[in-house]
Amino acid sequence: MQKESPIREPLILGNKSYHDITVDVAKPVLAKANKLWWIVFGISLVLFIWWILSVGYTIGTGIGVWGLNKTIGWAWDITNFVWWVGIGHAGTLISAVLLLFRQKWRLSINRSAEAMTIFAVVQAAMFPLIHMGRPWLGYFVFPIPNNFGSLWVNFNSPLLWDVFAISTYFSVSLVFWYVGLIPDFAMIRDKVNEKYWPLRKKIYSTLSFGWSGRAKDWQRFEEVSLVLAGLATPLVFSVHSIVSFDFATSVIPGWHTTIFPPYFVAGAVFSGFAMVQTLLLVMRKVVGLEAYITVKHVEYMNIVIMLTGNLVGIAYLTELFMAWYSGVEFEQYAFLNRATGPYWWAYWSMMTCNVISPQLMWFKKLRTNIVFTFILALFVNIGMWFERFVIIVTSLHRDYLPSSWSMFSPTFVDIGIFVGSIGFFFVLFLLYSRTFPVIAQAELKTIVKSSSEQYKK
Amino acid sequence: MTKQKKYWKGLAELTNDPAIESLKHNEFVEPIPTEEFLGDEKALTQSTTSRRDFLKFLGFSTAAATLAACETPVVKSIPYVVKPEEITPGVANWYSSTYYDGNDFANVLVKTREGRPIFIKPNDLSSATPNARVVSSVLSLYDSNRLKTPKKKGQTTAWSQIDEEIVTRLSDVDGQVVVLTNTIISPTTNAIINDFCEKYDAKHIQYDAISYQGILDANQSSFGVRAIPSYHFDKSDVIVSFGADFLGSWLNVGFEKQYASNRNPKNGKMSRHFQIETNMSLTGSNADVRIPVKPSEKLRLIENLYQSIIGNQSPDDRLKDIYSELLAAKGKSLVVCDSNDKDVQLVINAINNQLSNYGKTIDLEKPYYLKAGDDELVNQLVKDMNSGQVGALIISGVNPSYTLPNAEQFNAGLKKVSLTISTALSMDETAQYVEYVCPDRHYLESWGDARAKHGEVSFTQPTIQPLFDSRQFQDSMLSWSRSNEDYYTYLKQYWREKTAWSQSLHDGFITISESKKSPTSFSGNVVSITQNSGDLELALYQSNSLGDGTQANNPWLQELPDPITRACWDNYITVSATTAREYGLSNWNNNDGSMDGNVVRLTVGNTTLENVPVLIQPGQAIGTIGLALGYGRTSSGKVGNAVGINAYPLITNNDFIAPSNVTIEKMEGEHGFASVQLHHTMMGRSLIKETTLSEYIKDPKAGNPDITFYTHKGKLFADEVSLWKEFDHESGHFWNLSIDLTTCIGCNACVVACHSENNVPVVGKEEVRKSRDMHWLRIDRYYSSDMTEEIAEEQGLGSVSKYKAMEVPSENPDVAFQPVMCQHCNHAPCETVCPVAATSHSAEGLNHMAYNRCVGTRYCANNCPYKVRRFNWFNYAENDAFDFNMNDDLGKMVLNPDVTVRVRGVMEKCSMCIQMIQKVKLDAKRDGRKVLDKEAQTACSVACPTNALVFGDVNDTSSEVSTLKEDERQYYLLEEINTAPSVFYQTKIRNRKA
Repeated sequence: MQKESPIREPLILGNKSYHDITVDVAKPVLAKANKLWWIVFGISLVLFIWWILSVGYTIGTGIGVWGLNKTIGWAWDITNFVWWVGIGHAGTLISAVLLLFRQKWRLSINRSAEAMTIFAVVQAAMFPLIHMGRPWLGYFVFPIPNNFGSLWVNFNSPLLWDVFAISTYFSVSLVFWYVGLIPDFAMIRDKVNEKYWPLRKKIYSTLSFGWSGRAKDWQRFEEVSLVLAGLATPLVFSVHSIVSFDFATSVIPGWHTTIFPPYFVAGAVFSGFAMVQTLLLVMRKVVGLEAYITVKHVEYMNIVIMLTGNLVGIAYLTELFMAWYSGVEFEQYAFLNRATGPYWWAYWSMMTCNVISPQLMWFKKLRTNIVFTFILALFVNIGMWFERFVIIVTSLHRDYLPSSWSMFSPTFVDIGIFVGSIGFFFVLFLLYSRTFPVIAQAELKTIVKSSSEQYKK
Repeated sequence: MTKQKKYWKGLAELTNDPAIESLKHNEFVEPIPTEEFLGDEKALTQSTTSRRDFLKFLGFSTAAATLAACETPVVKSIPYVVKPEEITPGVANWYSSTYYDGNDFANVLVKTREGRPIFIKPNDLSSATPNARVVSSVLSLYDSNRLKTPKKKGQTTAWSQIDEEIVTRLSDVDGQVVVLTNTIISPTTNAIINDFCEKYDAKHIQYDAISYQGILDANQSSFGVRAIPSYHFDKSDVIVSFGADFLGSWLNVGFEKQYASNRNPKNGKMSRHFQIETNMSLTGSNADVRIPVKPSEKLRLIENLYQSIIGNQSPDDRLKDIYSELLAAKGKSLVVCDSNDKDVQLVINAINNQLSNYGKTIDLEKPYYLKAGDDELVNQLVKDMNSGQVGALIISGVNPSYTLPNAEQFNAGLKKVSLTISTALSMDETAQYVEYVCPDRHYLESWGDARAKHGEVSFTQPTIQPLFDSRQFQDSMLSWSRSNEDYYTYLKQYWREKTAWSQSLHDGFITISESKKSPTSFSGNVVSITQNSGDLELALYQSNSLGDGTQANNPWLQELPDPITRACWDNYITVSATTAREYGLSNWNNNDGSMDGNVVRLTVGNTTLENVPVLIQPGQAIGTIGLALGYGRTSSGKVGNAVGINAYPLITNNDFIAPSNVTIEKMEGEHGFASVQLHHTMMGRSLIKETTLSEYIKDPKAGNPDITFYTHKGKLFADEVSLWKEFDHESGHFWNLSIDLTTCIGCNACVVACHSENNVPVVGKEEVRKSRDMHWLRIDRYYSSDMTEEIAEEQGLGSVSKYKAMEVPSENPDVAFQPVMCQHCNHAPCETVCPVAATSHSAEGLNHMAYNRCVGTRYCANNCPYKVRRFNWFNYAENDAFDFNMNDDLGKMVLNPDVTVRVRGVMEKCSMCIQMIQKVKLDAKRDGRKVLDKEAQTACSVACPTNALVFGDVNDTSSEVSTLKEDERQYYLLEEINTAPSVFYQTKIRNRKA
């Protein structure tokens, strides 16, 4: 039994009993969807269809339908890839790292954060595939035994490391998420009336792997969770480090930077938490989970955002300093060009959104304000997208030989694939919110007697 | 011998039961009731398809369609039934030939594969090297817009019928018979035309679209020889060119080689080259001193120079150096001028005469016969045609409806001529107004001879069976003269008496002994040539890509970026930044990297052109505009039509300048340029290292200091600070390419040669606008800027304003060219990042690209510091969106069978012509010897007229390239990032006073 100081703010509001929690969590799954859900789902579906059409057009016609050129070989594709991978990081951080640090406030948010991770990684993984000139040969990047001759993948290539990093990350996150879901699926299974919903009963029975709630079940559950958390924790750091190697190991000024791994990880957590905020602030309202996702939770996350935002800010300044200090004219020009060249607006959007705006979180009034938090989270999402755009496009568009300098401008297909991937993400997330227990209720129940308002009185 | 065991299926078989025998012949034991089924008509017609059947059909057809789609289409190759003796599939045959289209002349070698010409390279026996247009001419052979049959009033007809009618009508023609041709340099053709003229009492008029009459007439008047003298740029220590673009478009006879031979700083001596010109020409960009002047100003300076030399005036400030150096180099100097005004050329002759250059650097005893046109005769012809005095007109090799400034009058006159005949290759502007079109053959299908220069003869021979039902002009003339001979016999007869025919044909170029021309000593009446200057003056020029516009339908040439402006698929007026400001004109770059500009209404005299795009050209004389000829074709074919604006109507008085009555007026609207380079300065980076000759003599390493890094071990060279595991480059070959920036004149011949050898696709204007040109080899052109690191420091400028100022080129900048192709780095950034190892290193120092393996991540291109990798954004072959040569069956015949045509989604780049290297290695292996120096070449090094590109094996210590690698001028591009390229450069040396 956990004990907690009474002066700590409660993590569950209202007089919630175990049964209340069960009912609250099962409600969205068992009840009919409201109008709002259908509207949002409809919009997302339209965007998703746009995504399908754009991707189909690209694969059918050629990468030339994007705005890329001989100088700028990556732009929105890899920007989106890094952005989505980054977003995924919050989920793993919350569920794995915070589990190891025994942060109980994670319990209300980890399920959805992990779902977000899975769905974001799905989006991210699409981009390396569709950005290929010949995606139908995408399996070439896997070290599979083949009869093409003595062909093997190039283990020197950071893109290959990406393949391993992303696939490992995806599988570990999926397993971790699923293990956590088992007792909750069992709860839903028990709530479903077989007479009316035989199919549902069957599905949830299968999904819950015959969970019976025995002490042995729980003991194993805890052990597996801990092992998986241990496995997932290094991934939080490794995945985005490896993604950053795509740039850091290159020779392009603005990419070739040793600070990238920690800088990218901080940025990933930063953007991930912002996305969690964006999703959960809406969800707690729509699904009625205000009692579980409290202002305190929001505040905790805002503090993480502020911290990581400052880390990112320090990284930006360090980059500038190193460019100047290196004495390398190409480096100096690359960074000067970021701030004052044709893409200055992207750089300053990034600076404003990622460094300046999180400073407002120093004020308790602001960081406990739901509306403000929501707006700021959107800012951070935008800023972090711009960060990747700035790194990729402004570094490429003016590199070593001025004769090759050029510019990039997106086509409607670029836009379609980006906006469409957001639609795809929301389609997945909305379907999830109607079929999965969105809060890890079984685990949450473990803190009712230590951290709920009722017991703190 | 062991006995074979035999097994029976049963006793019946052993006993040879007849029933078994009969069963063996039936595949099915019981007959299949096909007859029954198919015979039952009722069942067949009335049967309704059940749902199950439908699904079966659906499933089957989907599966069948899917399977069929998976299969690679089979292209059958048909073997020879009787193999021609000289053709071995896979082995190229080379034939010597000669290119002459009235504007360009070159002696060439033609590479044919399986009977198809696919590549043109210089014939080393001659100094007339092919320029970019001549190298491209192989594609014009496969132009699908060529005429496929003779035509009468646009209707296909037969040769016999056409001949019958023409001969009948020629015999009783009412009025003069005129043969209008380009300058004929073929002795046999001249003889044939003369025979024809005798028979029909006809007149032969020669017409040069780009007229050189001024020089011809001036020489006639000064020396009694109406010809172009041979110039010796190689023997000239001081070259002064008043506007003559002799490296780009003036005479086009291959002065590049001569010029470069006297520009080698190794001997401590280089010619000094002054260029006084209006437009920034290719020649001007190579000059040591370049003085931009208005055309009228140029005339004043010529006169001033002459008057100073004869002591009547003191030289103009700008001419002081020129004056003193010319006088110091009497007999070793050369003054040339592009003016087509006889009086101006007389002054030039007088100057050269004063400088005792005749007989030394200018040779009239052995002149060029490349130009013989007479503009007066052509003008008279147009008048005669309109007054109805011309009864028959045969047009060959010229396109007057396009190139004549008074083309409308010509066309009107054409209607009054009762018999009009054209021998155009395609339905060009003139041919479409003509009654009989008797298509000539492309030179690669033709026989011929050429006497370009006194004492030098070269031959043209067919390299392919004629593609269409065409006939050589000479054969047409012979048959119209009712001669029984064919031209081939005629030609052979003619030369057999004078030379060893087979050997001459093999060599393609011979010298014959002819008595020298005997020019009289100089006599000339030098008159004042100054003209009033206008506010705005016009100077027309020939673009490097299209020349006079003959090959406008050639997509390689259309997509060939101008070496100076770096724009393609266009002509435009060039103005200086000052003039542009005055008229409120500008160029700007869009968000997608494309360049746009204003358009103007251009009026010259009575001619007005609307919507003329404006390109701001550093080095353009203030208050002048330049405009390229050769564009604005209306009937050249699918590629060349409606590209640019026809500037021929602006020619006034047969001269290419208009000193007055020129106005421009800004119009509404914008024009999109297809420019492959948007930034024009080096931004203070030492990409092109350069120095002056005097500095070089003092220290050969001048301008090329070693790059060192400060490390904890002290100062180290770039290649000593390395994380790389080195490849073994000691054993076997190590292919390197040296590029001399001093002798590279930026002529683009290498770019087209690369295009041709490596099946590089043409992508069209819109794609070039999106920075997606596919050139494997590009020639970067940089202008100097008024802002340098030193000046910025002096003025205390901050970095932001410094770099902003550095982006702006000077008004009269220094120009430098730098050919950049894949540098074949031995520490290649591209190789490490490819996830599938599609690009990897060879043991011979080359960076390979395996197209089959490439999945198209473009990571390699991003990580390439030289940005030489090109991505196939679309399928460029067999795609209607890219309707160029790779989209039609005829155009595809130019493709090099040794090089893959790349599909969409793969990365491509320079392979250092690996197929050519491989061929040489195999030859050497077969012969059991080592590969000789110079044997292995790349397309670019072959095509280079100045030997600026030298390719070879540096492990062969006797090779030229290994010597060059040790040269003090040698440096690597971006050496500081330690990519250890196999391509290296030699510093640029300018012969300029410090």
